Amino acid sequence: MEIIERFLKAIEGIFTDSGIMTLGWQNYVMIGVACVLFYLAIKKEFEPLLLLPIAFGMLLVNLYPGITAAPDTTLMNAADCIAAKGTTEGYATTIINGVQYYNVPHYGGLFYYLYQGVKLGIYPPLIFLGVGAMTDFGPLIANPKSFILGAAAQIGIFITFIGAIFLGFTDAQSGAIGIIGGADGPTAIYVTTKLAPELLGSIAIAAYSYMALVPIIQPPIMRALTTKKERSVVMEQLRPVSKLEKIIFPIVIVVVISILLPDAAPLVGMLMFGNLLKESGVCDRLSKTAQNELMNIITIFLGTTVGATATGVNFLSFNTLKIIALGLIAFMMGSACGVLFGKVMYKLTGGKVNPLIGSAGVSAVPMAARVSQRVGQEENPGNFLLMHAMGPNVAGVIGSAVAAGVLLNVLR
Amino acid sequence: MDLMSKLTISASMLLTGFVIVFSVLIFLIFIIWVMGKIVTGAQNASANRKKIKVQKLDEKPEKVEIKKPAPVIKKPESPSGTPDEVIAVISAAVYSMYGSKQKVRIKSIKKSSSRSAWANAGVLRNTRPF
Repeated sequence: MEIIERFLKAIEGIFTDSGIMTLGWQNYVMIGVACVLFYLAIKKEFEPLLLLPIAFGMLLVNLYPGITAAPDTTLMNAADCIAAKGTTEGYATTIINGVQYYNVPHYGGLFYYLYQGVKLGIYPPLIFLGVGAMTDFGPLIANPKSFILGAAAQIGIFITFIGAIFLGFTDAQSGAIGIIGGADGPTAIYVTTKLAPELLGSIAIAAYSYMALVPIIQPPIMRALTTKKERSVVMEQLRPVSKLEKIIFPIVIVVVISILLPDAAPLVGMLMFGNLLKESGVCDRLSKTAQNELMNIITIFLGTTVGATATGVNFLSFNTLKIIALGLIAFMMGSACGVLFGKVMYKLTGGKVNPLIGSAGVSAVPMAARVSQRVGQEENPGNFLLMHAMGPNVAGVIGSAVAAGVLLNVLR
Repeated sequence: MDLMSKLTISASMLLTGFVIVFSVLIFLIFIIWVMGKIVTGAQNASANRKKIKVQKLDEKPEKVEIKKPAPVIKKPESPSGTPDEVIAVISAAVYSMYGSKQKVRIKSIKKSSSRSAWANAGVLRNTRPF
């Protein structure tokens, strides 16, 4: 009889703790959202390297919210504790009214520990290390004027800030929402964890979704703002850049930006360190590790833990819809400002600059540059804008890190 | 937050962001431009020094014993400037495509574009997803 009783009690306990009893409707909706992201990542190949881990983190946290639980301790009467656990070695003791208690630790969930890399701002700079090791700044060094286009594309960040303020967000939250316009995932995550960690899930998903949608969002804006003649401009070949210039470049950039904007130093510093590993030619092993193993490991940790912030209760709110709308505006404004400044450069240079390369200023390396190439080739199949667009594209990475530094400095 | 404070913070952020981002990046343009000039100048000067050194060595052959390199026999090139090896490779490729039964005569060999085959392959690879 006792056996049956124990068996039934165990079954009841398992049923009570199961998802069937503990999950709310929001969790089920989020599981659906995760499945949509799976579809976009696997079938449509929209930024799959990040969207897939994000979707899986989202799925897991909504199935088992305890995976993000923080560690804590409970007080347990000393005698009871010894009787129950046998040993109390390493437990801290507390005495209340002459009675001794042990602080029994409860360890946190897996994602709680992995999330510390996001919370403490460790993962985004490490991602930048890998990005730096993979980036060729040659086109930017050959044509430093590209920095103007990289700066112009950041205007969307500050215009969206205004929109967010008027939609009722705090100034810190508005800064975090605006940074979506930089089209740079690690920067968006870095700024959001510092300014508005409660919005991290929505902002990260909006940022990566829009980055994946660059080939759909940008071309209509580019065509609307340019004439056929402007789109057909064939640019002069870039000058060759020496190895010495490529080695000096990261050192100069990190010195200048770290002195002028110390808040941008972790991002720009790691970006340039990665680039120096590559360009120096003497740290091949380190460069390869930064580009491959380290980058992949951090991407897995970052993606899953950021996805795990999108719990039903956090994500399913009107604020998320507002963030998604504002993110789109930020992105479109950034692209438009880049193209408009490209037109200014077209006029100033007497038609030597193709304005289409301006839209590549919104980071999103190398997707935005490829879009410039594609739209340019629609007008003139023999026109190769890719390397010219890579200049503003990598300038946009530096520009968004600078904009992040401004936001952190002013709003934190 | 009332309307006035919203307007104030919005305007100040727009102005601050615009001015700082542009100032920093324009400063970087200047720095990179100067860096390019210095490095290119230094490299040109170094190349010139090497040239002068070689010329000086040529002017005073009696003082410096230079082992004369083995005479290089210049291979005759085709009128278009295409090396014979390249012509041989192209001919072999044409022969392998058409075989010995068809009579094929190569009249001229011209570059189809200024870009090398490898550069073309790279461009294609980078632009193919669209």
